Amino acid sequence: MATQTLPPGNGPSATDMQYYYQHLYPFKSVFQWLNHSPKPGRDMMHRELAMAFRSGAYKRYNSFDSVQEFKAQIQRSNPDRFEIGAVYNKPPRQMDSLLKADMKPLEKEVVFDIDMDDYDAHRTCCSGANVCSKCWKFISLAMKIINVALEEDFGYTDYIWIFSGRRGAHCWVTDRRARQLNDIQRRSVLDYMNVVRDRNIDKRQNLKRPYHPHLMRSLEILKPFFVEIILREQNPWQDDAVAFNGLLSGLHDKVLIEILKKHWTKNSNRTSEQKWQDIDNLAATQIKHTSPLKKSDYFNRLRECKEDLVMATLYPKLDVEVTKQTIHLLKAPFCIHPATGSVCVPITEAFTPSDAPKLIKLQNELESNENKVERTSLQPFLHQFQQFVNQVVKKELSGAKREREEEAVNDF
Amino acid sequence: MFRQSKRRVAGRRNFDERSGSSSGNFILNGTASEEEKKLYESLYQSRLSFYTIPPKGEITLEQFELWAIDRLKVLLEIESCIQRNKPAREMELIVKPLLQKLLPLTTDDLEIRKKDYYSHFILRLCFCRSKELRDKFVRSETTLLKLRFNMLTSQDQAKFVKTLNLPFLQFISDEEKEQLSTELYQTISGALQFQLNLTDENQRRQYFNQEKFIKLPFESVVDLVGNRQVFIKKGSAYLPQFQQLNHIANEFSSMLSTALLKTSQNIPRLNEDDRLLPILHHLSSGYDASNFVLQDQFGNASQGEVTATSVYSAKIEENFPLCAKNMMNGLKTVHHLRYQARQQLTFFLKGIGMSVDDAMQFWSDAFAKGGITTEKFNKEYKYNFRHNYGLEGNRINYKPWDCRTILSKPRPSRGEFHGCPYRDWNVDKLTLELSQGMKLTQTQVNSVLDNVERTEYTVACTKVFEMTHGGSTNVEINDQTHISHPNLYYERSRQLQKKAEGAAT
Repeated sequence: MATQTLPPGNGPSATDMQYYYQHLYPFKSVFQWLNHSPKPGRDMMHRELAMAFRSGAYKRYNSFDSVQEFKAQIQRSNPDRFEIGAVYNKPPRQMDSLLKADMKPLEKEVVFDIDMDDYDAHRTCCSGANVCSKCWKFISLAMKIINVALEEDFGYTDYIWIFSGRRGAHCWVTDRRARQLNDIQRRSVLDYMNVVRDRNIDKRQNLKRPYHPHLMRSLEILKPFFVEIILREQNPWQDDAVAFNGLLSGLHDKVLIEILKKHWTKNSNRTSEQKWQDIDNLAATQIKHTSPLKKSDYFNRLRECKEDLVMATLYPKLDVEVTKQTIHLLKAPFCIHPATGSVCVPITEAFTPSDAPKLIKLQNELESNENKVERTSLQPFLHQFQQFVNQVVKKELSGAKREREEEAVNDF
Repeated sequence: MFRQSKRRVAGRRNFDERSGSSSGNFILNGTASEEEKKLYESLYQSRLSFYTIPPKGEITLEQFELWAIDRLKVLLEIESCIQRNKPAREMELIVKPLLQKLLPLTTDDLEIRKKDYYSHFILRLCFCRSKELRDKFVRSETTLLKLRFNMLTSQDQAKFVKTLNLPFLQFISDEEKEQLSTELYQTISGALQFQLNLTDENQRRQYFNQEKFIKLPFESVVDLVGNRQVFIKKGSAYLPQFQQLNHIANEFSSMLSTALLKTSQNIPRLNEDDRLLPILHHLSSGYDASNFVLQDQFGNASQGEVTATSVYSAKIEENFPLCAKNMMNGLKTVHHLRYQARQQLTFFLKGIGMSVDDAMQFWSDAFAKGGITTEKFNKEYKYNFRHNYGLEGNRINYKPWDCRTILSKPRPSRGEFHGCPYRDWNVDKLTLELSQGMKLTQTQVNSVLDNVERTEYTVACTKVFEMTHGGSTNVEINDQTHISHPNLYYERSRQLQKKAEGAAT
C-alpha cells in the first residue's frame, strides 16, 4: 500500500532515507540557519518542524533543542521529508499541554513558492510533472524578477532559493526584518509581488497604467525573454484554438479580434511569432481611424495590451497560500523529493533540474570513495548553503550588537 | 533606526495612558465644568479624535443606549458600503447625511463631542467579545475616521496630524525627490487622477512638483504596498503627503485593535452590573444580523431536506446562487473539485443543512464517477471533509463562507470552479449564462454587467436574485436586502419557493 502513491522505481526506499539522514543530511547547517547563531537559542528551540511519512501520516509540532537531538529524532522517525514552520512563543513540542490560544507564532522567514503547474497554459515542451531545461526557464526568470524586487524594493539581502525536488522552487528570505512581518504585512508583500492574480488565460489582464516602477522594471527584464521563450521555444499560440482563447482575449478591440480570427482561420497553424506580428500588421492596415490623435491612442492601447500579455505569460506565478501565513510549513532544504529522489538543493538562476544530485547517485559515490561526503556531487551545494548560513549568522550577530549599543545610547 | 523608533512610540503610548489615569478623576457631574471643557478641547483639537483616553464621567442609562445606537447606525451603513465594494467617493455621499444627523462634529459644541466620545467607547465594550466582531468594528471605525478626516479643511487636517505626534512624519529632501522623480511620479499619477480628479497631465505634473514626500518603513503603510500605490526602495516607502491618511489610519486601527483586546480581557469584571450587559448584548447582536439569522436556520428548518441525492434535484438546485451552481456543474463534468472549491461547496452545503453522513456519501459518489476509489477517497479526502464539519483536528465548527470571504480567496485558475462567477468569468460566458441559463432580458443582463464592471459583485448577485424571483412584481422581494452570503441567497429563494408551493396546494 505504501508504494502505491509513488511512481514505480524512482523514489528512494525507507532504507535509502535512513542512509541519507545518517551520512549526508547537513543537520548542523540547517540548524544554524534556522537558529541564526551557532549557540542553540529560541529561534530554533521554539521552532516548529513537521514530519511527513510514507504512510501519509503527518506529525506536527516537533521542536529540537540541539543539533544532536535534531539529527537523532529525524533519524529515528525517518520521515519521507520534513517541513519548517514558525518560531512560537513556547516550544511547539509542549503543544499538548498548552491551550491552543497560548501558542502564538512570532516569526518566520518570508517564503515564496513557484510551481511549474501554474505555467501550463503556456508550456508546450512538457506537461504534468515533467520538466526540461526549456520550461525551467520560466522558473529561472521568475527567480530573477523576485530577486531584484527583494533587493531593490524591500532591501532584503539574505535570501536563498531551494529546488523543490521536481518542478518548482522555494525562496526563503531570512532577513530579520522579513522574519518579523505579521500576517497582514506578509499578505501585502505578497500582493505587491503577485501581479498576475487572475490565472484565467481567457481574461484580459488590464493592469493599471502607468505601470508601478516594479512592474516597469519587471517588464523590461522580461521583454527580451518573451521572444525567445514564448514566441520561439514554447510557441503556445500555434494551436489556433489556444490563440483564440489566450492571445486574442488579451486585446482591447473587438473589431481587430474579429479580423485576426478570420485571418487565422483562413491561414491556420501560423506560429506564435507570426501571430504576434499579425496583430501589429493587421491593426496598421485594416483599422481606420478618424484622426491622427485617435490613431496614436489606439496603438498605445494595443501596445499596452501586448505588454500585459508579456506579463501574463512570464511574470512569476506565485503559490499565494505559502506566503500568506506565518505558520505555514514548507519543505526543508536538502530533503529528498519522495517521487524523484532528487535532493532539494540551493540553486541560482543558472540551475536546471538535471543539475540536482539524486540520492542513488550520491550513495554510489559515497560507496566508491570511502564515505567521504566532501567528494560527492552534493559538496558544492553544501558549501553554497554553509556560505549563506555564515552570512546570516554574521548579520544577526552584528545586528544584535548594534541594538545593544543603541540601547546603551538611549539609556544614557 | 526602525526598531528604535518603534520602541519610542510604544513608550509614548504607555505614557499617554498613565497620564490619562493619573489625571483621571475629572467630570463627575453632568454639567460642563471648566475642567471638562478643557478635556474635550484637548481631545478634539481639530474636530477629530484618536480616542486615546477612556471616559471617566457619568452619563444616564438612556444616553448610554441612545448614543450607542446612533453611532451603530453610522457604522452599519459604513459596513454595508464596504460589503458592496463602494469606492470611497460614493461611500462619502451615502454616509455624510447620516453622519450630519447622528454624529456631527462640525461645531465645537461640547455635548456633540461628548456623544461622539462616549458612543465610541460604549461600542468598544459591545464589540470586543469575539475576533470577528473586533475586526469588523476596527474596520468600520477606521473607515469612519478616514471619512471624517477627508471632510476636514486642510488646515484642520494639518492641525490634527500635528496633535498625533506620529513617528516617521519627516519629509525627504528636494534632492532625493529630484533623484527619484520618475519613479515617484509613475507611482502616484494614477492616484492623482482618480483620487484627486486631476484629469489633465499638466495639472498632475504641477501637483507633483508641489507635493512633499514622507519616507518611512514600508511596514507602516502595508496596504499601500499591497496594491502598489506607493513607491518603495530598499525597504522604505515614499508616501505622498496626500496619502498620509493611510498611515494615520493604520496607526489608528492598530491602536484600536490592541485596546479592544485589552477591553475584552477586562470585560468579565463588568459582569456584576446587570444594567449594562443586556444593552451590550442587544447592540452587538444587531450588528451581525445577517450571520445571526442564518445560524438560527442552520440545522433547524432545513434539516433532512438536503441529502446526498436530493441535492441534485431541481427543487433544491434551482435555489443555488451562481457560485454554487458553477461548482456543482464542475463536479458533474470533471467528477472532482480542487481544494478551494471543495471547501467552498462543503461549507455551503453544510449551511443549507446537509448532514456529515450525507456529505461523505455525496462527495465519494461524485468522485467515484471520476475513478477515485473508496479507498483513495478515504485516504486522501475524507479527513478534509470531516475536518470541515468540525470532526477532526482543531474541531472548529466552520461557518459557510460569506461573499467577502469568497472574494478574498485566490481566484480560480484553469480547471477550478470556486470563487465568484460574477468576478471570475469573462463577459461572454457571463452574458451567455445570464441570458440563456437564467433567461434574463437584454436590459437586465446589461444592468447586471454594469455592476460587474464596477466590481460590485454582490450587488450583481442581488439583482440576479430579484430578477429571477419575479422582480419588482413580487412583493416578497421588495425588502431589498443586500445579498452578501450565498446561503442567504439560498435561504431566501427556498422560502419563496416554499410559499409558492404552499399557495399552489
